[in-house]
Parts: sequence; C-alpha cells; structure tokens
Amino acid sequence: MKNRISFIFVSAWLLVLGGCAGVQAPIAITPATTPSGAPSTEPPAQPAATITPSAEPPTPTAPPGMQASQPAGEAVVVGPEPKPVMSGNRAVVALLDRAELDSKAGKREAAGAALERALRIEPRNPWLWLELAQVRLAEGQYAQAITLAQKSNSFAGRQLRVQSENWQVIGQARVAQGDSAGAEQALKLAAELAQQARQP
Amino acid sequence: MKLPPIAIPKFLSTFKFKMPGKAVRVVALLLLLGLSGYIYYLDATIREAFEGRKFALPARVYGRALEVYPGLKLTREQLVDELRALGYHENPEPKDAATYRLTMNGIDFTSRNFVFGDGPQPSQHVRTEFADGKVSLLQEHGATDVDMPLLRMEPPVIGGIYPGHNEDRDLVRLDQVPKPLIDALLATEDRKFYTHWGIDPRGIARALYKTLTGQRIEGGSTLTQQLVKNLFLSPERTLTRKANEVLMSLLLEMHYSKNEILETYLNEIFLGQDASRAIHGFGLASHYYFDRPLDRLELQELATLVGMVKGPTVYDPRKNPELTLNRRNVVLKEMASLNVITQEQFVEARDKPLGVVQRAPTGTSPYPAFLQFVHRQLQRDYREEDLRSEGLRIFTTLDPFVQHQAEVALQSRLGEIEKARRIAANTLEGAVVVSSTQTGEIQAMVGGREARFAGFNRALDIERPIGSVVKPIIYLTALEDPSHYTLITPLDDSPLVWKQPGTSDWKPQNYDHKFHEQVQLRTALAESYNVSTARLGISLGVERILDKLPLYGIERRPPPFASSLLGAFGLAPVEVMQLYQTFADGGFRTPLRAIRSIVTADGKTLQRYPLNVEPVAAPAPVYLLTAALQGVVREGTAHALSNWLPADLNVAGKTGTTDDLRDSWFAGYTGDRVAVVWVGRDDNKPTGLTGASGAMTVWGEMMKNIQPEPLVPVVPEEIEMVNIDPVKAVRYADGCKDGVPMPFIKGSAPVETMPCPTATVEAPKVGDAAGMIAEAKPEAKPEVKLDVKPEVKPVVKLPAKPELKQEPEKKNWLQRIFN
Repeated sequence: MKNRISFIFVSAWLLVLGGCAGVQAPIAITPATTPSGAPSTEPPAQPAATITPSAEPPTPTAPPGMQASQPAGEAVVVGPEPKPVMSGNRAVVALLDRAELDSKAGKREAAGAALERALRIEPRNPWLWLELAQVRLAEGQYAQAITLAQKSNSFAGRQLRVQSENWQVIGQARVAQGDSAGAEQALKLAAELAQQARQP
Repeated sequence: MKLPPIAIPKFLSTFKFKMPGKAVRVVALLLLLGLSGYIYYLDATIREAFEGRKFALPARVYGRALEVYPGLKLTREQLVDELRALGYHENPEPKDAATYRLTMNGIDFTSRNFVFGDGPQPSQHVRTEFADGKVSLLQEHGATDVDMPLLRMEPPVIGGIYPGHNEDRDLVRLDQVPKPLIDALLATEDRKFYTHWGIDPRGIARALYKTLTGQRIEGGSTLTQQLVKNLFLSPERTLTRKANEVLMSLLLEMHYSKNEILETYLNEIFLGQDASRAIHGFGLASHYYFDRPLDRLELQELATLVGMVKGPTVYDPRKNPELTLNRRNVVLKEMASLNVITQEQFVEARDKPLGVVQRAPTGTSPYPAFLQFVHRQLQRDYREEDLRSEGLRIFTTLDPFVQHQAEVALQSRLGEIEKARRIAANTLEGAVVVSSTQTGEIQAMVGGREARFAGFNRALDIERPIGSVVKPIIYLTALEDPSHYTLITPLDDSPLVWKQPGTSDWKPQNYDHKFHEQVQLRTALAESYNVSTARLGISLGVERILDKLPLYGIERRPPPFASSLLGAFGLAPVEVMQLYQTFADGGFRTPLRAIRSIVTADGKTLQRYPLNVEPVAAPAPVYLLTAALQGVVREGTAHALSNWLPADLNVAGKTGTTDDLRDSWFAGYTGDRVAVVWVGRDDNKPTGLTGASGAMTVWGEMMKNIQPEPLVPVVPEEIEMVNIDPVKAVRYADGCKDGVPMPFIKGSAPVETMPCPTATVEAPKVGDAAGMIAEAKPEAKPEVKLDVKPEVKPVVKLPAKPELKQEPEKKNWLQRIFN
C-alpha cells in the first residue's frame, strides 16, 4: 500500500516537472540565400516608377492605339480577336488551360510551373514563351518578362500576332522599369504588328 | 548521448545538525531538489529529442516525372522500364496502384497517388498503346474509356540526403501500419504496452537481480524503454544508464500518448545496416528486405521484421537465414498463443519461406554524380541540418533514360577503345553531361566510368585544359562583326610567333604540323586549325575574348595569355556545357538547372527554381556559328560522327584535343539536347586520343541510343541565304548549281555575282535554312581522307549533292563496311 502511494507521489511529481518544460517548436526552414542565378521567388522590390504593369486603366505613357489592349499579367488573350490556337498538342493545351486557371486564381508560381511543363513538350512554341513572359510580368519580374518575350519572338517566325503580344509585354515591362521612351517604342511596334496581323 | 550519473552531494553528510531528525529532512529535501533539477534536465532532453526525432526525415530526391501524352516518342519497352523503376509489379488484373499488365501493343497500369508541388494527383487506371515508337493511345479506364491529354507519372526516387549518422527511413503513420505487425510486436516485445507506465517493474527487478548476481546482463525492456534506448542512450549496459532509461521512459509516457510512442518506435527502431547507411524503422526495412511497401507484406514477412528487433545483426535474413527463420516462427507462435492469429494462419505462415529479396535495393543513389551536383546546389541555399532532417522533397531534372544511355555509352566505348588500342584496361576515365537545349535542365551526369561509384566526380571537379573546344567563342566574337567577318572570310594560317611580356614566345602549331596559308573562316573552325584561330583571336583581342566567358557562366578566369585562345586552361565538363548550351539556344543563356522545386514534407512548395533566360549573344552571329559547327561535323574534324548518327540530324559540335593527347573533348548539340564528354586519365598521362577518337565516339554512341531531334535552328531575321562557291568563296546567281546556299548577316555577303561556271539549273531553295544543311563538298572526284583515329579505317567521302538525299546514307553505309 505504502509502495503504491509513493509511486503515485513520484508520478505526480514527475508530471509537474514534466509539465514545466516548454515544448520546442520545430524550426521553420527558409532558404539561407536566394538561389544564385535565379531570382527570389518573392517579386523584387518595385522599381521607382509608380506605374505597375497590372494597372487596369491604360497607362499614361501608352499610346492611344493601345487602349483596347488586354491588361498585362493575364495569361489569357482577351482581345477583340478569337483566342488563337496556341498548340495542336492536346497535352500542351491542357497545361495551358491549367496555367490559365492558376493565373486567374493568382497562383502565378503554379501557372509558371505548368507553362514550364508545356515548354518541355514544345520548347519552340512561341505562344508558351509569351505566356511565361506574361506570368513573369505579373510577378513583377520585368527583366525576365522582357527576355522571355524576346525569346518568344526568336521562335515566332512570321506569326505577327504573337510578335505583337510580345512587344506588348516588353512595352509594359519597360513602363514598369521607368523606361518610358523604350516603352513607347515597343508599344507602338506592338500596335503596328497587331494592325498587320488583322489584315487578311 | 551519454548522461552524467546522478551525483549525490557528499558534502551534505559532513554537516552536523542539532536534531538528527531535522538533518535527515534537510538532506532529503536537498536530495529531492537535486533530483528534481536532474529530472527536469532529463525531461527537457527527451522532449527536445523526441520532437526533433519525429521530424528527422532525410530529404528525398526525385528524378523528373515522365509526362506521357499521345504522340510522345516513347516505346513500350521504355515505359515498362519506367514502371519497373517506379516499383510497379506485373499483375494480370492491374487494378491496384503500382501494378501493370502488358497488352497486345501497349500497357495497362494503375498509377499511384502522388502529391506534387502543385497538389495531389490521384491514382489512375490507364490504358496505353504504342505505334511507330510513339504513344498512340492514352485513355483512362472506366465504364467507358476516356481519352486523356496527358498523364504525369509519379517521379522515381533517385536518392536521399540522410541525417547525420546516415540514417535512412521511410516514415509510416500508425494508421498505415498493418495490424498483424503491431500484434506481432506487442506479442513478442511488450504484451502490456497499452497498460504499463513505461516500465515493467517485474521485468526490471528480474534484470536487476540477474545483473547483480553476476548472471548474464539482460533487458526486460518495454517498447518505451527500447525507444528511449534507441533515441537517447549509448549501448553500454550500466546501472546508471538503466536508471536514466527508467526515468526517461516514465517521462516519455507522461508527455506522449501510447500511439505517439508506438508510431515513433515503429519509425525509429534499428533494423539493419546497408554499408554506411543505417536502416531505421519498419517502413524502410520493408523496402530493404522485401522490396515492397509495408502494407503489401504478408503475415510471415511482418513476423520476420518483428523477429529482427531482438538483434538485427544476428537475425539478418540475408546473412543468417536459418536463425532468422526460426526467430520468425517464434514470433508467429507467440501470436498464435495470444490468439491474434488462428492456428491455420500460423501453420500456413510458418511453412512459407523467408522470401527476402537477395539484392537489397540500392539505398545510396544509383546516380551519385548527379546527386552530388544537386546536393551542392542545395547547400548553397539551405542549411545542411534542414536538408537532412526536414523530410524535404526535392524534384530534379534527371532523366533516367538519358542517364542510362550516357552511362552505358561511356562504359562501353572506353572499354572498346582500350581494347582496340591495346591500352591497359581501366586506365581511361571519362565524364558526360547532358542537358535539354531550351530549358537548360541537366538530364544526365556521369562522373566516371563506374557510374554507381560515388567517388571523384569528373563531370564537376576536374579542371582539364579544354583545347579547341574553346574556339567557338573566338569565332562568335568575329562573326559578331559582319563588316569584317563572314563564314567565308579568308584567315591567315601561315606561321605565327607571338611575343607577350610575362610568357615565352608562343608559336602555335596545327595538329597536322602544316600551315595552310589562306583558309576560309568556316574551314579554319571545321578543321580546327590552331594557327589561323590564334591569329584571329589575337587580332580580336585576347582580353576581349576572355572577358566574354563570364557571360556564358564560366567564372574561372583563364590566364591572360594568347595560349588561352587555344584552350590552355582548365575547366570542368559542366562549365563547358554552359558555353555550348548558350550556342545551342541561339544566344540565350539559360543557367543549367538540376532542381525544379523543393516541397516540404507536408506538400507545400518551399522554393521553385524557375526557368530563367538571359540574352548574351545576338541571334544572327550565333546562327552563323551553329552553321560553322555543323560544318565541323559534316566535313571537319568530327566527320566520323556519321559512324553513329545520320547526317540529317545536322549535329553541331566541336572536338578538343590537348597537348600530347592528354585530354579528349567533344561538345555538341542536336535540336533538343546539348552534351559534353571528356575522356582522359586520372593521372593526366597521355591517352593517345584526339577529341574525335575518344570523347566524340562516346558522344555518338550515347546520342545514337537517345535518338535526338534534328538540329534546325530558327533563322533570325537578319540572316539571308546566298549562293556561294564553297571553294572560291564567290557569289553565284541563285540558280547556279556550283554554289551552295550559305547564311550571311544581311549586307555582309559578297556583292558581286560571278558567272556560273556550269549551266544554270532549277535553283535549290535558296533562302531556306535547310539548304545550308544539305551543303556538300563540290569536288567531283571522291576524296580519300585519313582520319586521325586509327581504328577507323580511311573514310571514302563521296560527294553529296543537295538534290540527292540518298548520298549521306550511302556514305554511312560505306563507312560502316570499312569499319
């Protein structure tokens, strides 16, 4: 009997002691540095320019001809023209659809990942590079957006519509970078190409 | 971890108190306080360790997930290989996850659930068919089969990054653990587990008695005590340790539920040793001994694992199968005696063989070179302890198919070269890196001919002179100035003596020890003439050229001497890769990537390594360079590549050979892949191999099996095709058949059109980039050309005309005959 009482006592005492010790929370892991050669997943600090590319109303620097253009950052083409056929491969189309959904939901990283999957299937499809450029633009990675649009252009051949949209991306990225002269030039070219593309 | 023994403050006993009763009480109080402090310390220790251990999961590294879609170039055999590598089993009714069945011309299979970085993907029952080396049908099985646009397979595990003591584990949750395993464990190890306080006083008393009376030292431990032992204590058997074990067990039971303790036990217990890797937990042991997940083990197999708890070194089913079998049957008997299994089950299970797979699945990565590359990249961005303990899932770019072809090609070619040239066996070494052209993803990396051996990684860590492999950067610099340089600009290949302060006079020589007076720029590159190249580089400026290397991701700074123009500085294959990747990608540099994303154990994307592109060279000069590098393969130092690859692939590439034939390089690209191969000796002695007779043969053998896409670069707007006499370097009218279409940056081609020597015929399609590809040697008489590679017999080169598509094949056929 005495044994049991002391056992209970010891246990209660252990319990109290144990209760005092704080539980250590698991350590949160964060990358120690940004991967070199790859920009941080966070958008970089906004450049000095106050105009953001996702601004819905036309930007002041945009020439009047561009007013009807689609807002940047949307991975969807919502111009007056019907949506272009971006790929004949159903797998690529499925991934484009997925990227579009992700983009609309604001999940730009996921949209980028889906587009990269599509690019592994069709690495020379200019539409896919354009879409990726638009995602980067929406993410605020203007330099990458410009480069990717250039890369898209390198595969565009005589596809004026994709060229036009690439220059549109380049123009909007330059606006955000504060390069209004360069932006105007790009947007003007985009408008001209769009005009030519509409001609039969 | 070793704990200090309980210290009884001896000085206390020397104090004298007026009343003995009070003294006793004070001593008791002090003792209690001391003990309290000590227990508090123990408690903090176990809680920290327990919480920490719960998450001590190695990072899992995955290869690329195969994306299957109709039209994909993939054979049935390749998909079977993929499924087997993923641990799928053949089953006539492949309804369960990870089973497959071969059909007439396809495969039916059920994929597994898998949580990708972008969310979970459910298991799917899929029908595939193949035709002409491609996927011809992809459907989801159901009441009616539905066409699927795309199926992403689960990615293969290619390795892990293990915690400090190389402990590997495959975490299982308690609800995933088959009940018979728990029954067996409790029946044999701790029948009162769910009712005791963490210790079994009678067991301890028995152990204590036997130890004190000098009989053998024995356990009598509960599962909780065993866990404590595994988690915190050294294996020595002392009373102090036993006391600590008891205290810690009691504390553990107070903080955590029985199920938490059991789950941790199941994942923690040591169950074997695989070279340097310790096998912890039933989840991993199931794979290690039976090559199947725990939930697919049969009763007797579960009993085998439980039997091993007593001593995994003694009851090692591979080393001591008989002992292990007996032990297993003891476990089964205990289960039967507790009626957790029926007598029939007992008899049936007892009569079955052990069923252990003889060859343990490799735990350490089968791709050590690639894994090392991944690990280094991770170490730049993460703390080592997070990599080893947080259960991160790392999605990489490795393509097991490409990797396999690279390994096989390196191994087989080096063996063949040694044999053919009577070189002592296993003296040649090599390295291979393969990436995808437009995304810069590393698909394969081989660090030596023993690809499984995690030793010196030659793909990353050698620093060998790159020789002529560097030359394209000089030619690109020249071609960027179209007012002075085109593909047909004559270069001076007469003797050169270069004086530069700080170094002795430099007199570059050609490989054939001849000088060639005036040679066309494209020929100087195709034949890899050193003298004209050196002169070109000097006139462009040594510094100017070397300054370009960082743009291409080469951070090492070569010495500022003219000899650097001919590659007299060391690089690793992976660095050369970045250079050629940029050429292959039309002047866009895509930093090489091995990691796509990192996902936490609970499925959140921690970090993505997105595709990034940087323009470093204008597309038009790069286009011209690629045309010249295609010339290297079509008619220059790499023409013997046609022994492996059809001419219509239009491969671009460059050989590299260093002084005294110590290093043999080949770097080149197809439409979809870039690859670099180095061959040499670890002791840096001469190999007798040129770039063409060593590395290039590995490259060719590998690409032959990978079946790459033909190289058809996009023609930049600034490029025009002009009909040029390949020998006289003069312009003809478009219809003249003595000319071949050659690319020029607009405005740089010869202006004057010469009269066509022969009658004008219907023009080959000038202006079409493909025209360049079909360019042929103009000489009418067959040219006999001696190859530098002795085992390749003299090659008879037949003239190929653009109109005659048959010719290149005939050449291959002839060459093969002569071989």
